[in-house]
Amino acid sequence: MPRLNSPGELIELRRKLSASREAKRLRVSVCSRGASCSAAKGSELADALAKEIARQHMGNQVEVSRGGCFGLCQRGPIVLIRPGNICYVGVKPEDAAEIVGETLRQGRPVERRFFEDARGQRRTLEEIPFYKHQQRLLLDGNTLVDPQEIDDYIAIGGYQALAKVLFEMEPPALIEMIKRSGLRGRGGGGFLAGVKWETTRNAPGDKKYVIVNGDEGDPGAYMDRSLMEGNPHSILEGLIIGAYAIGAHEGFFYVRQEYPVATENILIALKQARDYGLLGKDILGSGFGVDVTLHRGAGAFVSGESSALMAAIEGKVGQPRLKYVHTSVSGLWDRPSNLNNVETWANVPFIVNNGVDWFRGMGTDGSKGTKIFSLVGKVLNTGLVEVPMGITLRDIVYKIGGGIRDGKKFKAIQTGGPSGGFLPESLLDLKVDFDELTRAGSMMGSGGMIVMDESDCMVDAARYYVDFLAHESCGQCIPCREGLRQMLKVLNNIVAGKGREGDVDLLEELCELMESASMCALGQTAHNPVMSALKHFRWEFDAHIREKRCPALVCRDLIYYEIDLQKCPGCGLCRKECPTEAILGKQKGPHVIDQDKCVKCGNCLTVCPKKINAVVKLPGKPRLRPAEQVATAAL
Amino acid sequence: MQNTAMQSSEASVDVLVIDDEESIREGCRQVLATAGYLTEVAEDGILGLQVAERSRPPVVLLDLRMPGISGIEVLEKLRGMDPQIVPIVITGYGSVDNAVQSMKLGAFDFVSKPFDPASLLAVVNRAIERHKELQQPPARIEPRPEIRPAERVEEPDVLLKGLETLGQSYSLGMEGYTLPEQVQSLEQEAEYHAKQLGTIQKKGRAIADLLADLRMVDEIVQKHGFKRNALIQVMLDVQMKKHWLPRHTLMWTSRRLNVPAARVYEIASFYEAFSLVPQGAHTVQVCEGTACHVRGAPQLASTISALLGIKNGETDSRLLFTLKEVHCVGCCAVAPVVKIDGTCHGSPSMKQLTNILRSLEAKEQVRSCQGSTHQAN
Repeated sequence: MPRLNSPGELIELRRKLSASREAKRLRVSVCSRGASCSAAKGSELADALAKEIARQHMGNQVEVSRGGCFGLCQRGPIVLIRPGNICYVGVKPEDAAEIVGETLRQGRPVERRFFEDARGQRRTLEEIPFYKHQQRLLLDGNTLVDPQEIDDYIAIGGYQALAKVLFEMEPPALIEMIKRSGLRGRGGGGFLAGVKWETTRNAPGDKKYVIVNGDEGDPGAYMDRSLMEGNPHSILEGLIIGAYAIGAHEGFFYVRQEYPVATENILIALKQARDYGLLGKDILGSGFGVDVTLHRGAGAFVSGESSALMAAIEGKVGQPRLKYVHTSVSGLWDRPSNLNNVETWANVPFIVNNGVDWFRGMGTDGSKGTKIFSLVGKVLNTGLVEVPMGITLRDIVYKIGGGIRDGKKFKAIQTGGPSGGFLPESLLDLKVDFDELTRAGSMMGSGGMIVMDESDCMVDAARYYVDFLAHESCGQCIPCREGLRQMLKVLNNIVAGKGREGDVDLLEELCELMESASMCALGQTAHNPVMSALKHFRWEFDAHIREKRCPALVCRDLIYYEIDLQKCPGCGLCRKECPTEAILGKQKGPHVIDQDKCVKCGNCLTVCPKKINAVVKLPGKPRLRPAEQVATAAL
Repeated sequence: MQNTAMQSSEASVDVLVIDDEESIREGCRQVLATAGYLTEVAEDGILGLQVAERSRPPVVLLDLRMPGISGIEVLEKLRGMDPQIVPIVITGYGSVDNAVQSMKLGAFDFVSKPFDPASLLAVVNRAIERHKELQQPPARIEPRPEIRPAERVEEPDVLLKGLETLGQSYSLGMEGYTLPEQVQSLEQEAEYHAKQLGTIQKKGRAIADLLADLRMVDEIVQKHGFKRNALIQVMLDVQMKKHWLPRHTLMWTSRRLNVPAARVYEIASFYEAFSLVPQGAHTVQVCEGTACHVRGAPQLASTISALLGIKNGETDSRLLFTLKEVHCVGCCAVAPVVKIDGTCHGSPSMKQLTNILRSLEAKEQVRSCQGSTHQAN
């Protein structure tokens, strides 16, 4: 790769790349590098398509691109054909020949691979409701580039923003621009990015650092993963721009080790950028230089906190410290360090390219731009969605997500991960932005959005988060360590049917204490899941404590499974699916469950054919019916 | 080609052999000539030093036990004369003490008698390379005050070498050396290692394993430039290679990076990624992320637990599977997810699970039938 020595050379390269891409008639993008799609043989599909194109001698007309996550993970792998944005979902490697022969060669659709819902077939990406109501600014790049090809990124205008700031803007003006744009930290805190940059720039010290926080620890969230895997250069470009604004010459890219594909793609991106002279010394001949090192996190939720993350980069245990002095002033090796989330950095090139007014045109008064959410749980279309700030939760769940699966009733939506809270149906018209969510007792967080339906137990969900946090608390400060442990004990008792009057009061007291006395945000916000569950679903707690009953039939100690002997035809499906051989019975004879052996995995209920419906889940303790007594005694 | 004259005043000498036995001198000369090296010989230490003074050979092969002045003395004098001369020591079989002492005095390596031509050539080749490196001025590295590279300690190299000889001796059934204190401590590590593995009878084998691990750590540490702040990265790499962190690798990391062992253990026990006990050949991770939790992860976990017969965090007795409940593998859209050896499976049925686990089991059986012993990695 030749080194680019001036912005002119970058523009020339882009011109050449676009020309060579336009020479091909069609471009086929396959979602093959995302986690869900690669599990669904996305990579084999891309291979099959490439092979088939070569076999049908269409290599000079069609280009195949292997992209990162396209978003609609539920229906992956996805194939996108441009021009036209023709979209096939759930494509299998066996479909390759047909797609190439019919669509690419003849221009005829392969109808059975179109997205289909209750209202019929949708042929292009824009027609699919999941995409139609989104505003895909950052995520769009994932469908346009192969993350391992810097040329793809340059061809769509990548690194133009970097060239612009290096040669046309002074750092203070750039900081002013980011400040005026109203870009807030996407990692959860929602702090104004420009203000943070300015603090670091003005902090005393000649050596400064810039850091990408890619330690996406929230369970149920994978937005940063998709950006790091699908379009790493967009993050890197933002980071280099930030380094220039702040005056840093060294940067770190912190990625959790659970994301090996992200690690690989980032390493490739760093190398390619270095080869082109877009990273390292004297970038584009401007005289400014910054280099970036990748650092893998070793798996600790609390290490995503800024001071903890910096300790981890220093090779120490990733524990937070008290922040009398912000990390912007004294962070990594006690030098001024500016840390931003993956998504925050990725927004920067867009603001530089399109201007402040354009960015401010999206969103609400306090929150500008778009936000990526991972819309998961009991919603019909799960995946990654990018929406303008200010959209209502209802629109996200129903218009984009397609409503609740299996015709069940909506119960709650959880945002903000373990630091966020549950929002009930009455709050569905809430506008999604930093301030509104916080006011409602939840928070934006990094963008996890887990939808729950009537078959989910809020006591169990609250217990889940407390269990998670108790496991992840670093244990330095007592309010967090002991507070969580005690809360978990109380909640474990409640879900086991051993709850007592006064437990709820105790939980409230612990919440209050932790909020005011914990050292870092993990402890300070740990009350959110419990308090919001108590606020909106108090009746469910009462049912567990007073009636020893789990209304949603989730808590294992309060339910049991039974086979309706009248309905059971003795097909034996459930017997074969039982991992503990707890189901007894002969073929064509009625089956019974040995309650002592049953681990309540629910497999029997899942496999029992819907039209028979013999397996039932019931509240309370199992009662031993005569048939079971006989069967158990016979063994 | 080089001429065959034993003494040449014009062409520069590559290797000087100092040994009192003619057969050794002549043998070395012939072997080295095959690789194009020009050799001079001397039959005792005094003569050898004179030749060295005159012709400054890049490499000296030196017998330790000779009449007149001893090899150790010659070694000391050689270092004083010209630090760019790379000395290799020839020892009688199994004299570990002398070998260790000479390594401490700056010998580059040693060969034990009787030696085969190939290994002699390999050692000399490396020594010539080393000599070239010494001649070049050290590459200028921009000092980074905050990331101070740990000083490269010579001592561990000596230990590795001593340990290697010890392992060779053990595997030949020789025991009962008085060992230098530090080799002793490593030998204890090896015994501990042997006991931990259970299946290995011979200490020699255990030492060989241990050595391989230490060399692997060395490679990794080198890859990260001996930087102390790379500690977590080094440990991640070791974990990835071994699937767990055996005690000796941790101690070795601590020694190589000059980081207290307590720090290394602190990190090993703090982070989820590390494991201090042997893991199964295959890792089964049940995702307990929120999306998975609400879509039946607990049920999936109990199914898998029942199938494998182990609980969360446990490894089965055959070291085949380790079951782990983890927090979010980032594959939330197809929840509930189980990740087996790095591949995600969304909402797998009982049948799919059984098939995957059975095929892995069968693969392991084939492997063990083929005779390669399975050692927790």
